[in-house]
Amino acid sequence: MSYLIAWVLGLGSLALLALAIGHLLVALVLIIPTWRICTRAGFSGALSLFHLVPVIGSFIVMAVLAFSPWPAGEASPGGR
Amino acid sequence: MGVEVAALMGFFGLTSAFALVAAIFAAWMAWRIVEKAGFPGWTGLAAIVLTLTGVASIVPLVLLWVFAFMRWPRDGAPSAPLAYGAAPAGAPVRSPAALAPPSVALADRRGWRLSGSLPNGGGVAFVVHDTATPYVLTGAPATQPGDLSVPDPSVGQPHACLLTAASRLGLEDLGTPGGTFIDGARLLPEHGPRDISAARSIRLGSVELTLTRA
Repeated sequence: MSYLIAWVLGLGSLALLALAIGHLLVALVLIIPTWRICTRAGFSGALSLFHLVPVIGSFIVMAVLAFSPWPAGEASPGGR
Repeated sequence: MGVEVAALMGFFGLTSAFALVAAIFAAWMAWRIVEKAGFPGWTGLAAIVLTLTGVASIVPLVLLWVFAFMRWPRDGAPSAPLAYGAAPAGAPVRSPAALAPPSVALADRRGWRLSGSLPNGGGVAFVVHDTATPYVLTGAPATQPGDLSVPDPSVGQPHACLLTAASRLGLEDLGTPGGTFIDGARLLPEHGPRDISAARSIRLGSVELTLTRA
């Protein structure tokens, strides 16, 4: 019985680890370009680390980029 | 049984409604972000709509990478015109991060030498360096530090102004009957200051002065 519990626990932690690593990889694929976008916009690149937050992280980064004025300057809204 | 089905349907309905709201919100934000970078807003919207199609969910990811590393219209032309000295009035003030470093060799920092001979046999020679105050070319004897005396009757008192700014030399006629000429071309007072950094000679009245780098 205790073997079974140990099995289940081990399998569960393995699954969690795989999930965490997978999440990190996916987030990294998003963080690298977003880091560059944030620095080009004039924000700290660390803002892109919000992608690590599950579900709503990407929305936070996008909202900051979309709704706060870019310190490095924006294109004029009427085109150029 | 019916209750479970209804609950499941409700759950799916709620999730899809939430997903729809999230997608619309994301599309709106993407629209604003690409507009700030100088692209038309529909390109951001299209990227988010592509995410919803599922079959092409890798495409928006590729687009994100492309967007991050491509040139943005906001940054202007790749070879932006270089501004020497003070920025023109009314130019937008940007943080230093947005300002590209100069890509050409720095300007020549040497001064200028103006030399020539007078009709009465004498000669004049001046060396002009970058200063904030303009030099005054005058026919009268020099009284102030910036005065450059060209003792000749055809030279006005004062005759012309020599201006220096950011390793460039300018000449402005002060309206004299003798006239000021840059490489033989008449400089009128209404022309204002003209850049003579690349000129070979200037003439004040009947006095020809050769311009070289000191």
